[in-house]
Order: sequence, then structure tokens, then C-alpha cells
Amino acid sequence: MKRRTFLQLAGAGALAAPFVSPAAAQQATVRWWYHFDNPQNSPAELVAAFEKENPGIKIQAESIPWGGGSDYYTRLFASLVAGNAPDCAMVKLNNQAQLLQMGALEPLDSRLGGWAARSDISDSIWNVNKATDGKQYFLPVQYVVLYLYYRTDLFQAAGLQPPKTYEDFLAAAKALTKGDVYGFGMRGGAGGHDNWAPFVLGNGATFDKGGMVSEKALAGNRFYVSLMRDHKVVPPSAPTDGFRQIVDGFKAGRSAMVIHHVGSSNEMVQALGDKVSAVPVPKPAGAKGWTIFGDESNAVFSASKQKDAAFRWISFLSTANNNVAFNKLTGQLPVTTSSAATWDVHPKRFVEASAASLPAAGVLPDLPKTADFVRTVWPTSMQRALLGQITPDDMMKAVEAHFHG
Amino acid sequence: MTTASPSAAALRTAATPYLFLAPALLVTLAVVLVPVAQTVWMSLHDYILYRPQNVPFIGLGNFTRLLKDEVFWISLWNSAWWIVLVVGLQFALGLGAALLLNQSFWWRGLARSLIIIPWALPSVIIGLTWTWMYDFNVGVLNDLVLRLGLVDKPVPWLAQPTTSFYAIVLALVWQGFPFFAVTILAGLQTIGQELYEAADIDGATRFQRLRLVILPSIADVIMTALLLRTIWVANSLDVILVMTGGGPGYATHTLPLYAFLKAYSGMEFGYGSALALVLTALLLVVVFAYVRRAAKDLGR
Amino acid sequence: MIDRRSHLRRIVEVEIPVLLIVLFAIGPYAWMMITSIKPSAEISQWPVRYWPDQPTLQHYRDLLARTTFSGNMRDSFIVALGASALGLAVSIPAAYAFSRFSFAGRRLLMTQFLVINMFPIVLIIIPLFVLMRRFGLLDTHLGIVLGHSTFAIPFSIWMLTSYMNAIPRELDEAARIDGASRLQALRFVIMPVVMPGVVTTGIYIFVTSWNEYLFAMMLSGQSVRTVTVALQLFIGEFTVQWGLLTAGGTLIAIPVTILFLFVQKRLVSGLTSGAVKS
Repeated sequence: MKRRTFLQLAGAGALAAPFVSPAAAQQATVRWWYHFDNPQNSPAELVAAFEKENPGIKIQAESIPWGGGSDYYTRLFASLVAGNAPDCAMVKLNNQAQLLQMGALEPLDSRLGGWAARSDISDSIWNVNKATDGKQYFLPVQYVVLYLYYRTDLFQAAGLQPPKTYEDFLAAAKALTKGDVYGFGMRGGAGGHDNWAPFVLGNGATFDKGGMVSEKALAGNRFYVSLMRDHKVVPPSAPTDGFRQIVDGFKAGRSAMVIHHVGSSNEMVQALGDKVSAVPVPKPAGAKGWTIFGDESNAVFSASKQKDAAFRWISFLSTANNNVAFNKLTGQLPVTTSSAATWDVHPKRFVEASAASLPAAGVLPDLPKTADFVRTVWPTSMQRALLGQITPDDMMKAVEAHFHG
Repeated sequence: MTTASPSAAALRTAATPYLFLAPALLVTLAVVLVPVAQTVWMSLHDYILYRPQNVPFIGLGNFTRLLKDEVFWISLWNSAWWIVLVVGLQFALGLGAALLLNQSFWWRGLARSLIIIPWALPSVIIGLTWTWMYDFNVGVLNDLVLRLGLVDKPVPWLAQPTTSFYAIVLALVWQGFPFFAVTILAGLQTIGQELYEAADIDGATRFQRLRLVILPSIADVIMTALLLRTIWVANSLDVILVMTGGGPGYATHTLPLYAFLKAYSGMEFGYGSALALVLTALLLVVVFAYVRRAAKDLGR
Repeated sequence: MIDRRSHLRRIVEVEIPVLLIVLFAIGPYAWMMITSIKPSAEISQWPVRYWPDQPTLQHYRDLLARTTFSGNMRDSFIVALGASALGLAVSIPAAYAFSRFSFAGRRLLMTQFLVINMFPIVLIIIPLFVLMRRFGLLDTHLGIVLGHSTFAIPFSIWMLTSYMNAIPRELDEAARIDGASRLQALRFVIMPVVMPGVVTTGIYIFVTSWNEYLFAMMLSGQSVRTVTVALQLFIGEFTVQWGLLTAGGTLIAIPVTILFLFVQKRLVSGLTSGAVKS
């Protein structure tokens, strides 16, 4: 109690500061957090363009280290707790439920109603980003879809077609595993659930109660684990390999297939030229399949005092040409329909593979426990299953227990 | 000095040590006390960061949960083994390096500076560099052992439970041995030349000189360095986090890492704080044993 | 003949082992340095290429011209120097008190400093963040320096106390008899003798602060950002900028190494040549 009084006193000094300059109220300053993969890219030009269009608003763009996602969100949660959060920030669906439960997000529906460019973003993308309470808190700014990269030359030499079904996939992986090369560069380390999901969620597993221990879910997971345990078509380093390892291994010619998205296409082309192409991830014969939609949106925080100005900025970023410019900085795909035709940052075959993957693309459910599933529950139980410490079915039971235990 | 009554003088004398201590106490308490008090508070609640409106008091609930948590026990044993190995090897290598670098040879200054390098790098860089060297597909270490004919196919160093733990230990030993080398080297300078000379006159062998003259004179420095390093290693998690994130499975889970994962990926700050407090309590036991010994020495 | 044999013996017994240790110490660093001069396309290849066909300084140019790295180096310097200065300034008197006085609560206080050190930083970081925010210290050099003092001060006090304990008490008692005050005794008698310890401790704080990430990440912002945080920006969600990262890693070790090259002489010249003999 005593401590709290002390802190309040200390805080009073800090709070007094904003009242000093009422004259500056005309000029709204919007703090916005972002993370770009390439630190050489700066949003300065976009900011300048925006400020020119909106003379009353200044944008203070702050780049925050991503740190595997944990640094970015640690900072964000700490600032929300401390009352020091930015007005708006780049956010992902993984954390929407948590932010929502904190009461940290501002619903955007009424503002979106009056936004002309809304219809330039497809309904499917809007729907994916809708929160469980039916409101729209996230304004999409970019996306990627997970698909399958494959080595065209190796497939040709082996007389194979790129795989469509699980069976094709296994057959190709077996045929291509020889010498220094493994058929599939499996990602068992952090973030590897996006490699696993096409085989397990795609085979019918769900996050509903009992959905992870249904016969189809268990079968899908057994198949996935058998790629390493029985068929040995993945590198033995798979349990801890992250995206860096699988992409490097693929670039170095150590694997014939990997699952990733358009974000790594340019470096793959740089290393392999025409010898790499992409198709949607494998699925059960005759079914729709499932792959991960990698989302990124902007959101306005409920504690912001500049909500309108903040919305103006984030909607600016999701408008036609600005969205194109933004995605040139991040290396992902614009969300606006109008820019799809002119997009030339990635080779066409990868953009097409992304588009072809969209019908099957989904996101993990918007639950507070999803973030922990992605970051610890999935990696540890997957790794233990891949190493034979637990059975594939035990792994699925652990996942089920995490959500419904 | 003005004329002070004897009692005032006595008071002043009694107060002197506290005056010397005051600045250090002020700074550390201000920065640490509040956060630590808050951690204790959190450990008694079911505190989940994204649920700030609903923080029930659960008493020792987090602590009883922890006793039944299989991962806690795995992490605890990993931590114990980890501390012994890392600190022991860092010390052995550091002591050896310090004794050698205390000899005179023409490039001693250069050698002293070069062995500092591992210590001069941030943990993140160290973690990434070693992961990069251990890499199964393109790592230099696999290339080297293949070329040397030590193995006939690459080894997935970080993906096997048998090797991942030791692979990280090696990276940590590399990072930390310069600390011991430098600290002990500085300690060696406090030994007067005449001690060496006396030992030489008595015809002591070099090993006797090390055991009977050198080590006892720097025992205090060594013990303190060991103690501080133990605490540091016990709490460090960044290199593990970068290299394996605790995997594969639980193979490289240590207590601070587990507390970190609970706190930041599950947002379970209550449980994470309880884990951290248990770690602190266990360290306290070590520290008390040491402080008793040190106090005895000081009281001589 | 004797000369040559002892020379040979020194090579076998000292120089070769030292060489091995030095190789172990710089091996991974050297590998990082080589990686930093490889063109991007040659960085991940199998079989491993040990030397690039066309070494390039492109990553260094990008690092210095197109990122904020050089400004971040300056911030790191200020923070590390500040942490060393603050740490030593408050720890030297404290260590002196612990080493030379016996007073009530001494053991408790000494233990207290260790307990502070024992707390996993990751869990105090959010409360600390809130605290710093209250005092308006977020995104300032002072805020990070204070954060680093949580580990710098306890460490320095303990190390310095043990170095001071190694100095015979007769030394400052003699000075006291000659009429020196406590402060004078500390300043003119103890300090010169304990200098190697002070230098080591100062280096320790500097290095630890220079390399520290978590405090720096949480407490920094746009205006103050240390190199460790800047380096982390090269590790994105979907790409690692290996070229920039290894170039940055190579540069980051240089100031500390050069610093040590200069101060390591102090390690030798402190006590052996100083007061104890006389």
C-alpha cells in the first residue's frame, strides 16, 4: 500500500508534463511500433508522404527488435502494463486474444465503415482477422502463405512431379533422399508448427475439444513423425532446426523440399536460380488441405489519446500504393487486391503459388493459449516425439491437454 | 577537527562503515527492492499477464504445483549438472590460462588481449555463431570433423539429447573462461615477489609452489570469483535460448529458462516468479555456506 | 647452451599451451570474421568454403552507412562507461568498509548484495520497466546504467572486498598512525595497491554492460539504443542478415579488446612494483 502511494507520487511528476503545452494540441504525434526483417529498410519515406498529406499529424516510428517474437511482445506487454504503450503497432493474430483479454485493443469497425479503401482488401482476409467477439480490431497490412518449395532439377532428374498428396510427398521424399541430400528439410524447432499443420490440421485435426485426438488427427501426426523416425527422409537435425536452418540447408542443396513462404523466395532464387519453384503444400487426396496464413496487421490501442490520427496512419499503410511500398520494405505480400497485378518484388511463380494456396489457408484459433502452444508446447512435444521419447499419440494428447486439459 | 565529546567521536566511528556503504545500498535497493517485492507478490497469486482484472491470491499454490511438475525437476537436475560443468571447466581453463599468462614471453600482452575476445562478445552473437558452427547442413564443425575423418557423416550436434547439452556447455565455457583468466591473473599480481623467492630458496617444486604458495594467497579471490560466477551461470539463459530454446524436448531446459518460458510465452507470471524464487532460495543455501566460511576468514 | 635449452623449454611449456588456448579463444571469432567478408551468396554453402573467392567489405559499408550502428556504438560506450564509473564509485568505499571495519549487520549486508545478484533478471524486468517509466528514465542512458548497476554493484563490491582482503592491514594502520583519515588511507594507501583489482572489476562491468541485452532491450527506445539491441534488429522474423550480423559481431569485440590491450599493463604494474615491497 505504502509502495503504491510512493509510486503514485512519483508518477504525478511524469503525468504533469503533458499539461505544460496545451498549444501543441493541434499537432498530434502518433507513436507506431514496427519490426522489419531488414534493418536497412526504413519507413521514413512513407512517414514523410503521410505527414505531407496530413499536416496536423506527426508519426514517430519506432523499430522494436523481433527476437523470435518474444522480445517484441515482451516490450509491448510491459508498455501496456506501464501505461507507456504506443498508439498503434504491428501485431499478429497469435496474440490478439491476449491483447483483447487485457482490454488493450480499440475496435475499428466504426472507423472502417467510413474508410473508402476498405473494399480493396478481400473479404477472406478481413474474416481471418476478425476477433472472436465479431469485432474488427486488426487492420491487415501484409500476408504470406506457407507453401512447398521444391528443387525442379532434382525432381526432373528423378522423373517426378511436384507432390499433391501426402502419398506423392512421401514417395518423392524417399526418392530424393540420397547422399548428402534429404528429401524434406523438416522444421522441428521454434515455429515448426507451420510445417506440421498441413499434415495434421490438413488431415482433419481441429482445436475443438477432442479435435487433436481424433483418429484422423492421430494418423496425420503419425505420418509426420514417421518421416523422421521410420523413413528417415529428413535431416537428423530436424528436431531443433528453425527457419534459418531449413532455408540454409535448402539453399546449400542439402534438402529437396522445404515448407516456407514467399518471404524467402528471393534469397532462394539468388542461390539456386531456376532450380527452385513452389507449389501448394500436400494434402489428403480429394480434400481441401490446410496451410498457414501468416498474418500481420496494425492495431490501435485503447489507451491511445490519438485514436483518430493513429487510425489515419494505419489505414494509410493499407491503402493501394502505400501498401505496395510498405511490402517492398518487409518482403511480404500486399493485402490490397488492386496491387496484386503489378506486384513484381517476388518472381511470379512464387506469387502464384501463394495465390494458389490461399483457398486452403487458415490461422490458428484465436485463443489466449495459442501463443504458448506455438512457442513451447508444440516445439517440446514435437521434439520429444521426433526423438522417440514419447509416441506420436502422446504428443497429440499433450496438445489436447494444453487446450482442453 | 573540532572538539567533539568522546561519545560523539565514538558514534562517528561507529557510523563510518555505514557511510561508506550508503551510496551502494541506495542505488541497489532503489533499483532492485521494488521489483523483487513485486516478484514475491506475484508468486503468491495466479497472475497471468494478459488477465490483469482477475488475479486471485492462491497462497503457496504455485509452489505446490511446482513440486508436482515433472519439467521443474528435469530443469532442476539439468541446472545442477550444468552449473557444475560450466563453472568447473571455465575455472580449470581460466586458472591454467592465468598461470601461463603470468609467465613472461615476448607476445604476452597480445595473448592476454586475444583471450579476452570470447568474453567481449554479446551472448546473442555467441549463441548464433555457435549454432552456425554446429549446423548440420552447412556448419564448419561438421565439415572439419568430416575432413579429419573423425566421423563418416555429419552430426546433428544440437538436435540429439546426448550432444546438445554438452554442445552448449562448450559454447559457455568458451564464453566464460576469460573471466576467470583475467580475475585470477589480477589476483596473482597481489602476490609479492619475495614469496616466490622464498619458495625458490626452500627448493619447492613448481607444483608445490602452486599448491602451497600461489593458491593459498589468491584463495579469497578464487572463491569469490567462483561464487559470483556460479550465481551468474545459474541465472544465465540467453545462450541456451538462442541455441536450442531448451530443446530438443527438455534436454537443455534449466530452471531460469523454464521460468522465462513460463513467464513470457505462457504469460504465467505467478508461476514463473515461483520458479525464480525457488532458484534464488537454492542459490542462497550455497551462498550462506560460502559466507559463513568467508566470515570466519575475515574474523581471524 | 643452457640459455637455448631454457628457451626451448619455455616454448614447449608456456608458449605452445598459450598458443592453443589463444586459438581456442579466437577460433569462433575468426570464423565470424571470415563470414563477414563473404559475399551474401557464399555464406551458406556445402561443402563449407573456408575463404571467399572475392572477399568483400560490403557488409561493413552497409552496416555503417545504412544502419544506425555507429550511433549505437556510441550509446553502448556511454552506457558501459557510465555503468563502470557508477559501479566503481559506489563500490570502492563499500568494499573498503566490508574489508576494514567490523560492524553490526556486516554479514547480512554482504549477503544482501549477493541476493540482489541472484535474482533472475527476466522476472524483475517488467516491474523495473514500470518503475523506470514512473521516473521518466525510459530511453535514457541513465536508465540503462541504473539497470546495469543491479549486477555491476554487487559484483564489484564482492570482488573488490576480496582484493582488499588480500592487502595486509598493517599497511593502512601505519598510515592511520601517521595521521591520515580513513578516506586518505583509502585514497593514498589502499587504492594504488588494489589497482589491478579495480581495473579488473572496471573491465568486468564494462564488458558485461557492453554485452548486456535484456535490460538494454527493455529500457532503450529510439533515442538511446545499444549495439546489442541494434544487432538483434538484424535477426528478423523470416531472415537473418548474416552479413550484417557477423560484421557487427566482429566490430563489437574490437573496442573491448583494444581497451584490454592498454589496461592489461596495469595488471602487472600495480602491486608488484608498488608499495608492499617497501
